[in-house]
Parts: sequence; structure tokens; C-alpha cells
Amino acid sequence: MGTPVGAELDVVLPETRTMVAVLYVGLFAMSFDFVSGYTGYLSFGHAMFYGIGAYFVVLAATDKVPLLGAGTPFVVLLLAGAALAVVVALLVGAVSFRLTGVYFAMITLGFAEVAHVFVRNWGYVSSNPRDGASIGGSEALSIGIPGVATLDVGQLVGDSYESLLGLGIDLSTADVSYYAVGVVVLLSYFAMQRIVHSPFGRVMVAVRENEERARAVGYDTFRYKMGAFAVSAFFAAVAGALFAAYRRSVHPGNSFDLFVTADALLASIIGGLGTLAGPLYGHIFHEFVEGVLSTEEHGLARYLRETLPNTVLGAGYGDVTVVRIVNVLIDGRAELYLGVVFILFVLYVPHGILGTLRERLGGPVAERLPDRARRYLRGGGD
Amino acid sequence: MTGAVALASGPGIEAAAFALDPAPALASAVEVLWDLLRPGTLLRIGLDALSKFGLYVTVAAGLSLIFGLMGVLNFAHGSLTMVGAYLGGAFMVATVTAETGGIGRLLLFFLAMALAFAAVTAVGAAIEVSLIRPIYDRPPLFQILLTFGVVLVVDELARIVLEFRGIQPSTVWEAPWGTRPAVLGGFYDVFGVSTRGIYMFEALVGLAVVAGTWWFLTETRYGLHIRAGSEDAEMAQALGIDVHRSFTVVFGVGAGLAALAGVLLMWDPRFGASVPLGVETLLIAFVVVIIGGLGSFRGTVVAAGIVGLTDATMTWLFQTHVPFPGLPEMVMFLVLVLVLIVRPQGLFGVAEVGGH
Repeated sequence: MGTPVGAELDVVLPETRTMVAVLYVGLFAMSFDFVSGYTGYLSFGHAMFYGIGAYFVVLAATDKVPLLGAGTPFVVLLLAGAALAVVVALLVGAVSFRLTGVYFAMITLGFAEVAHVFVRNWGYVSSNPRDGASIGGSEALSIGIPGVATLDVGQLVGDSYESLLGLGIDLSTADVSYYAVGVVVLLSYFAMQRIVHSPFGRVMVAVRENEERARAVGYDTFRYKMGAFAVSAFFAAVAGALFAAYRRSVHPGNSFDLFVTADALLASIIGGLGTLAGPLYGHIFHEFVEGVLSTEEHGLARYLRETLPNTVLGAGYGDVTVVRIVNVLIDGRAELYLGVVFILFVLYVPHGILGTLRERLGGPVAERLPDRARRYLRGGGD
Repeated sequence: MTGAVALASGPGIEAAAFALDPAPALASAVEVLWDLLRPGTLLRIGLDALSKFGLYVTVAAGLSLIFGLMGVLNFAHGSLTMVGAYLGGAFMVATVTAETGGIGRLLLFFLAMALAFAAVTAVGAAIEVSLIRPIYDRPPLFQILLTFGVVLVVDELARIVLEFRGIQPSTVWEAPWGTRPAVLGGFYDVFGVSTRGIYMFEALVGLAVVAGTWWFLTETRYGLHIRAGSEDAEMAQALGIDVHRSFTVVFGVGAGLAALAGVLLMWDPRFGASVPLGVETLLIAFVVVIIGGLGSFRGTVVAAGIVGLTDATMTWLFQTHVPFPGLPEMVMFLVLVLVLIVRPQGLFGVAEVGGH
């Protein structure tokens, strides 16, 4: 960037590949919020569905899934993996929804850990299942209708355009992936949004607010909870499939792990539980903090080390110098600050960013904000 | 849990092929059962189960106390265990020299336990007062989520300190192993079964923890408050018990017990001090406490025995017959799931505790 504050902006603004991660993890977080935020049943093993979607794509692309060869279009894999996740969700839900509260969180965590340990030791995945598997070759997986219009997804392989349609816009592989993944995430969001605002979604909220009353009114709450869980698993698996297609590899630690569920939880709490779109913003915040505090080239630590004069960097008492403090407290320390922010949000902003905004504005942001802005610009007189 | 590594290629590798051909599968199932029922095998599994019972009950006791009274599932429990392991390890490495004799080392070890318990009890009480007390009136899930945030912060702080001290956080810190007295480090032959001294030591410590917690619950004033509070918190308050003060004490003692477990694990060759130890022990503690049933310390003790026995049996099965390294861990979670399906409130649980 040739602007005067280019180096500073480099630190603050996320890169395209970060934004792709925001999209698929954001979708995962939204699917987590769909069941946890709206029905009030904390799905603590949600990473299992993400992992199923991701592993399904990688296994199919390496020709390890019967009936679906390596050449199967990605869209088919995406839907098949999601369908598998729905089946698993119905099986898990059938026994788990007999429980409530902490016990429900624990039994779903139990199921997810069984799957986690199994995948971590499953020799069929690759010769070293602990390190997961990756898709070889250079053929990118693409999103769209096969044979009509498709966009390739891939961190390093896939379509790239120079001077698109003669407009002078260059699109790298990451840029193309961004739009391709973006389309799926947007469609998924609209679908979930539609369900949340349908009569079905109203019953989900009724279950959260007072399940006994909902049952007394005549709703078969068990079936509604199962439905919500299945839909949520479907989109979690879609997110996992997008993740696998983009990264072209997967390992248990970034798919089935408890800390993957934790990412969704973090995004939901910061963005706002029960707001659907909130978790996406929550995860943008997460990736933003992680990007700024990253050890990589664009991180704040490297920027400080390169910009601050040596006299400042070397200052300090004996062993404890500024540069050491930068290295230890900033370099790759996103978790620490995210943890603090998370605690502060739980304590003081229980509705999250979007939830609080909606509360203040008295309705959805898109509906209320223009009105508010207009009133504010006119000097508040009406 | 991670102890079983080297013996992956036992005599019965062919047992893995049972899915393909039913006849050999049946034959090897009989073979496995025959092998299991030999006295040598039973003794080996029994000794292993005893040591694991000691470890697991120590790891889970604090979580059980906190959950029983407050209904808060303390996610930070494992992280506090991890902190305890490092505190204990640091104390041992700093005080033990080559000249320290076996008895001296044991005494220092118990001193390390006492110090770690005291320090982390204070930390736990501080966490309760500053973070958890303000949100008691919210749904219990928020308290759980809050302790989850504590995990992120404590783990990262531990990494920062370790990095400053030049210790690798993600791999096991091996220095404390050198401070074990020779009595515990060596192998012993018990009727033809080889075991380590430290394993029997763990069983003894576990029994001591059970006895100590039992004494705390039945003989002290706070124990009385806990039992009253988990029976009926409102009634206890109406009778003049300062429930808030009890909460602080119990959260502190529970956290201290977590650290105590950490000091014990620091000497164990199957675990050792590392940052990932936090999650590993947290999951074990969850499984034990949930199987036992919330609000029942007796349930926790029984569940630790069940989980220890399951783990020991599955470790044996993996080492001799089934070449699947994740077997013990996977079966442990399967037991959790099965217990919750059959008895949703756990073995000894009270149905009303924990959002039922």
C-alpha cells in the first residue's frame, strides 16, 4: 500500500485469507448460535459436525469414500457431508435431548470427544491420523453448478483473474475463494435467518424462554429441538466442508477439537447469543485481534520491532527490556486478550455486540439505524 | 491415559480384523476373555486401576465439591491443575538437590502440595469473589462460560511465564521427574507383575484425598453448609447460613484440590507438567463427576473407581489385543455417554441439581 500510513494499516486491516477464515468459521459460529442461542441448549460438541463436513470432503477428494470418487463435484460433497452430519445429529439428538442444561452440554461434549479420539487414531484417514490428511494434486475444488458456472476455492490453487473483464481489477486465488465461499455463507445465512423468523423459529425461542409452557401450549418441543439441531448440524458441516476445500487439509486439532467449539462460543458471546448474524461479527473481532497480535509479517510485534528505535527497544531493567516485553506480551498473545475480553463480555455485555445494539436501537439494526441517523443529523428534533 | 505407547504390536494384532470374518472374531473374543481372566492379567489391571483411581479421584474431587454446592461446572479446573503441576514442579526443582534423601524428598513433596493448595485456594477464592459472584442471578450457563474465559487467560499467562523461564510449554517439563525419590521411581515385581512405586503412591494419595474431603464434608462447619446448601440452598439461607461465604470457601478449596492433583501429576511418568495437561485432566474430571452424579461426593469416588478400572482394562486390551491407541480414552467417553443415557442424573445424582 502506497499510502502514508500504509504500514500502520497493514497491521490493522485483515488480509483476504483472514477474511476467508472469517467467513467459514463465522458460518460455523452462526450454526452454533442457531441451536445454542435460540433454543438455549448449549451444543458443546458442535465441532463434531464441523469435523464431519471437513473430513468428508478431504476423504472423498482422496478417493476414500465409497460411491463418491475423487472427481465428484465439490458441491455434491458439500451437500453429502452435510446430510451425513444431519443423520449423526438426529442420532445424537435422539438421546441427548432427553437431558437439559449442563447435562445436555456434557453429553454432546462426550459424543464429540468419542468422535475426536476415534478420528485421531483412525488409520484409514492417513498413515499418521494425528496429523490428519490433505488433498494432493493441484485440482481445486469449485463452488457453483458443475458445467454451468463455478468458482474455485483454494488457498494456493484455483482460479485467479488478471484484469477481470477488462476493468483492471486483479483477483488472486484468495480473492476468488473469498467470493466463492462468501456466496455459500450468504446463502446459508439467509436460509437460517428465514427459519429463525418462521413459525418454527418462534417455537425455538419459546423453548428457550420456557420449555414447559411451550409444551403446555401444545408444541411437541422434542421434535422442534431435533429439527433445530439437525439444521444447525447441516450448516456446521457446510462450514467444515468450505474450510477443508479452502485449506485442502484437515487434522483433528482444527476440526474435532473442543477448542474449535470454543471458537464458536467466543464468537457467539462477543457477537451476541441468539442474534444469528452476531457471531460473524464476533469472529471478525477474534480474527482482527489475532491478526494484529500475530507473529507474522503484518503483526503489531514485528511493526513495533521495526519502527521503534533501538534505544527504546533496549531500554529497561536488566533482563526485562522493551523488546522482550513486546515479544512476550504481544507476539502471538491473542488468546490472553481474547480471554479477558470474553470475561468482560460475559460480565458486562451479556447480549454481545449485536444484541446490545438491537436493544439500544429497539429493533434490528438495518431497520432502525437509518431512522436514528436521520434524527441525529437533524439535531434530534422530532 | 497416554502411558500406553510402546506396546502397540502385541500378540493379538489379528483381533483387529474381526469386522471382516465372524469366525476368527469369535475365536479371538474367547481368546481375549481367556487371557483377561488369568490371575496375572487381573492383578496387572487391578494395580493399574488402583493407581488411576487415586489420580482420577484427586483430579475430580475439587470439581465435584464446587459443582455439588454451586452448580457451577468449573471449566478452569484443569487449568488450575496445570498451574499446580508447575508450581509443585518449580518448588521441587528449586529445593531438591542430589544429596536430598528419599524421606527428605517425600517431605518436600508434601510441603509442595500444601503450598500449592494454599496458593491456588487463595486464587480460587479471589476468582469467585471478583468474577462469579456478580453473576449468580443469571442462568447457570453464564457461570460456566465465564470459567471458560478464565481457562484462556490462565493458560496464556502460564505460557508467558514459561517462556520467560525458557521452558517449552506444549511438551512435558521433565525436570521434576528427577526429584522423585528412588523408592518411587523404580519398578517393582508384584507376583510376576511389574509396576512402578509411584503408581502405588498415587493410590495412597488418592485415598488420603478421599478421606480428607470426607472429613471436610462431614466434620467441619463448611462441610455442613455444603451439604445443607446442595440439599436446599434457599432453606439453608433462611436458617441463617451465609451461603455467599460458603461459596467462596468451597470454590477456593475446590481450586486448591485441583492444584493438589497437579502436584501429584507432575511426578507421574504418564502425565507430567505441561500446558495441555489442563484440558486432559479437565475432561477426565468432567467424566468422573458427571458419571458419579452432581452433588454427590460418594458418586464421584465410585465413578473414579469405575473410570479407573475401565481405563486400566482398555489400556491392557490395547497393549495386548487391539492395536487402537485411542481405545482407553474413547471408551471412557463412551461410558459417560452410556451412563447419561441410562441414568441422566448420574449414578448417585440428585435429579434437581444442574438444570434438570
